[in-house]
Amino acid sequence: MANENKNNSSYRVYLFVFFSALLLALSLWVVWDDEFGLRPWKKYQEEFKTLKHDQLEKDYRKAVVEFQRSGGHARLADLEAQLAKAESAFQSKATQEKFKQLTSQFDTLHEQLVLNQKELQNARGLFLESEYYFTKTQKQEYKARMDELQRQIDAIVLRGAALQKKEDSLKSSLSELTAGKERIAAEIERMQGGLEDLKEKIANNKKVPVEIKQIHIKDIDKADRCQTCHIGIDGKRPVSALQPFARHPASFIYLDHHDPAKFGCTFCHRGQGRATTSVEKAHGTVKHWDEPLLAGDMTQTSCLNCHGDLKGLRGAEEIVNSTELLKKYGCYSCHKIPGYETVGDVGPVLTEVGSKVNYSWAVKWLLDPKLYFSTARMPKFFFTQDQAESIADYLFSMSGTTRHDVDYSKQTPDAKLVEQGKALWSQARCNLCHTTGGRGGNHVKVYAPDLSKVGSKVNKEWLFRWIKNPNAYFPGTKMPRFRFTDEDIKSLVEYITSEYKDEEAELKYVQPVEIQVASIKKGKDLVQKYGCYGCHKLQGMEEMVQIAPSLKRQGVSFLRGDEMREKIGTELSSIGSKPLEMLDFGKLKKSIPNDRLSYIKQKLRDPRGYRLGLRMPDFRLSESEINELSAVLYGFTDSNVPARFMVPSRQELDRMAGVQTYKFTGDFAKVIADVKCTNCHSIRGIGADYAPDLSYAGSKLQEGWIRSFLANPDVIRPLLQQMPKLGLTSGKPLAKITMPRFNLGQQKVEDTNRTDVDAVINFFQQELVSNDIPKKIPGITTLTMPEQITKGKSIYDEKGCKACHQIGTEGGALGPNLSNVGNRLNPGFIFKHLENARKFKPDIVEPDYGFTERERIYLTNFLMTLKLNKK
Amino acid sequence: MKSLPEITDKVKKNLIWKSIFRRDYRNTVRDKAQAVFGNVFLHLHPVQVRESAVKLRFTWGMGGITFFAFILLVITGVVLMFYYHPSIDQAYTDIKDLEFQVPFGVILRNLHRWGAHFMVIVVMIHMFRVFMTGSYKAPRQFNWGIGVFLLVLTFLLSFTGYLTPWDQLGFWAITVGTNMGAATPLLGYQGPFSEYLHITPYNDIRFALLGGAQVGGNALLRSYIWHCVAIPLISIILMFVHFWRVRKDGGISKPQK
Repeated sequence: MANENKNNSSYRVYLFVFFSALLLALSLWVVWDDEFGLRPWKKYQEEFKTLKHDQLEKDYRKAVVEFQRSGGHARLADLEAQLAKAESAFQSKATQEKFKQLTSQFDTLHEQLVLNQKELQNARGLFLESEYYFTKTQKQEYKARMDELQRQIDAIVLRGAALQKKEDSLKSSLSELTAGKERIAAEIERMQGGLEDLKEKIANNKKVPVEIKQIHIKDIDKADRCQTCHIGIDGKRPVSALQPFARHPASFIYLDHHDPAKFGCTFCHRGQGRATTSVEKAHGTVKHWDEPLLAGDMTQTSCLNCHGDLKGLRGAEEIVNSTELLKKYGCYSCHKIPGYETVGDVGPVLTEVGSKVNYSWAVKWLLDPKLYFSTARMPKFFFTQDQAESIADYLFSMSGTTRHDVDYSKQTPDAKLVEQGKALWSQARCNLCHTTGGRGGNHVKVYAPDLSKVGSKVNKEWLFRWIKNPNAYFPGTKMPRFRFTDEDIKSLVEYITSEYKDEEAELKYVQPVEIQVASIKKGKDLVQKYGCYGCHKLQGMEEMVQIAPSLKRQGVSFLRGDEMREKIGTELSSIGSKPLEMLDFGKLKKSIPNDRLSYIKQKLRDPRGYRLGLRMPDFRLSESEINELSAVLYGFTDSNVPARFMVPSRQELDRMAGVQTYKFTGDFAKVIADVKCTNCHSIRGIGADYAPDLSYAGSKLQEGWIRSFLANPDVIRPLLQQMPKLGLTSGKPLAKITMPRFNLGQQKVEDTNRTDVDAVINFFQQELVSNDIPKKIPGITTLTMPEQITKGKSIYDEKGCKACHQIGTEGGALGPNLSNVGNRLNPGFIFKHLENARKFKPDIVEPDYGFTERERIYLTNFLMTLKLNKK
Repeated sequence: MKSLPEITDKVKKNLIWKSIFRRDYRNTVRDKAQAVFGNVFLHLHPVQVRESAVKLRFTWGMGGITFFAFILLVITGVVLMFYYHPSIDQAYTDIKDLEFQVPFGVILRNLHRWGAHFMVIVVMIHMFRVFMTGSYKAPRQFNWGIGVFLLVLTFLLSFTGYLTPWDQLGFWAITVGTNMGAATPLLGYQGPFSEYLHITPYNDIRFALLGGAQVGGNALLRSYIWHCVAIPLISIILMFVHFWRVRKDGGISKPQK
């Protein structure tokens, strides 16, 4: 029994020892892990300090070498010798005695001065006391005491001033004695200063504590600890090009305008700002963190958080390109997207489509628009043949009673008309916007339809009406009304319908058939279900604006039935911050990462993949378009943005300030509604940036030149070339592009007696002028002084202007051709432009030469002599 | 130079020593009993326990381990309270900070979280053992009742603590849990007879638990106070009764001869 007990207890001891050892080991591990394992940033910070140390050390060595090279040592030795000499002179008996004497005098005087000051304070205190009693009791005795004290105070002040004067003189004679050596000492310090600074920097670098570095933004309670590892991100000087030590790329755009201390990091980059324990956690690429890090160009999606206007915003170029896709495909037609409420329809009016196109074409188009043209913007709705026919029946029933095609294949085109039409086609530069046979379509952003097969699609009568007045058929179209005569239009129609056709389609033309009423009903239901009226105006469906859920919505909510009728798609305004659990991956069979961005991309790739009964059509987006579009959608968040971060758009600012947004007025408004100048030109913030900005055209251009240019844009050599983009942005290479000839000046503006050219010129000169640009050079009356012109010419040659500008046949093509600049520009504009080219066009590439006023006058005089004689 | 026994002697005769350790300890039955009597922490405990009663294979030590887990949770819980604000703006980030920044925050929080799961499991095993050994029978029937209350309190501690990180898990757990309250007869507005008793979402048990009609800042605060103050206090009182009854009902139950 006893033996058994003993055995038993020894086994317990072993167990006890084992578990104690385990506990100790675990405790030690906990301490180690907490100190190092969970704080990997300590290693980074140490490494950064080493890098910084190396850099400073290198600087120091360089500075030492420089110091030696410039003879610093010899000079220093010389100064030190001087200092020793001055010191010994100071230490001489006579000087020392004098010094001591002066010092003791100074000390006594100073003591007296201090006493005096105390006395003054005391007297003032008493004075205040008497004053208090006097105001309280109004007794004369206090008044008398006050006067007495005031006299005392005056006396003390006087005495003090006298003492101070004495002290000052003593001070200056004392400093005279030491001035010499102090001056030399200061000189020595100055010489060594640079080196000492560096030494101090090195010492300070060693003292920098290794600690968590945090930016806390109070109002949104954001704590970003990113700089704990990315320690050199806002440094003045990079110590390494590699992360996490590198500096922020393009920090002059991003950090200079978004002080990290105020904005933090995760505001733009997302990720998990508080995390410091591992790279994955900090970057938020872990499970249960919905906001993974945004890096590279993708970060630009965050610009959408605050900036109302992205156009022209430096550093947001990628996202600006991407937002263009929203307009291209008209996402806002079905989805509510804030800021896009007023953008016009993507598709043409369909009410009279039956009188426009062939029935067989309409069916084919409805089945799959991309089969007709690979560049078609209309998506595929996965209609069956039957459904497509029903929809076509419904559309055709609005303007007729039959399914029909118009067959021109039997007719022989009039060769003479075709020839004329061809000339007009190139004169009007139709190919600038429209593609035919893979050519043209340079002005991408107007999304003009491809015309390669148009002859087999539309009928001639419609085409004639369309060219004659596009606004009449499709109000709000981008197609300008060219001032063609009826004869011109006839020839153009003949040319287009004979040149651009699709013989294959013509073989399948249908014979006129009566449309069935049941089919019309079915077609109408389909049109309503799939929301064709989102993009196309349709008679009877004008009120049904949008059909998709909106893309911006706060938090969790569900669409009500009546909202569903309003919009066909999901509201997209907060899709980029929609909780992951609200995204329905549904019946998707493919395995994709379980995050928001992947969800959006997959939705764009396969719009009906997540559930049965989805209605979103397939836009057949390219992978790069999917990436761009998803970047934009990802930026639509309802993140908690403090008001101080918001940068409202210009329109919003105008609205808040009660300023009317700029509007064109008078006859010019009528011209512009017709000719659509703003398709290419920008005027006071309205329009596109395809052609030069005309905001100050009145101050810039001469009337005669405008007239001749509008009448015949291609007679003068291509002065206004599209700026080459130097390959910085993607897009088609731009050839020499001149403006189309709209034949302005031949017709009167509606309800007036003025021709449209007059209206344009009048508006330019009345409205599009700047008070900053004079017509003439200020203070100069005569322009043609021969010696000024010669001087101007020599400046032109000296500064190498011809590297970019062309005069005659000489010079580069980067800047505008100057051969005829004397006829084109106003001298006042040239003068001001030479002073500061960026004032009127901030992104101009022209260098700033810093010309003096004289030089500018010479140059202007010279340039004004450059004139081509009109033929 | 004094020898070690001399120093020891001096220290032991010191007034401070004597006021803490009242008497010398000799390994005798009397002194052992005195040690238990004289100690505030042990005086609830019986002076003597039968050897057969502490056989691990009979009791599994589950009651003691539960109490140990409770002590661990109290200690870690108090330290956690230094780092935690029961407000919806800060609660979640405070939990994140425990992970990322607070010294020993990870081990602290994990001890509390896993310790809580551990306690729930252990307390159930304890009950199971008591049932299987028939230790609920007279004269221990009252203590069984106390134990049932303690079990419920343990569950409530676990449940109220679940919301404190203010994460999705806790949020929905509390939503579901309190909705169950809302469907309870006579207590919740969804329960039977509620319309006759004028029970509405704004005066039922769910409202009382949440401090509102839905899970929000008040629910978090209530849950926090129940978790950190109210339920632990009740539990401690009942635990004392529980331990006291163990002693009064004839000590830890033991195998019958």
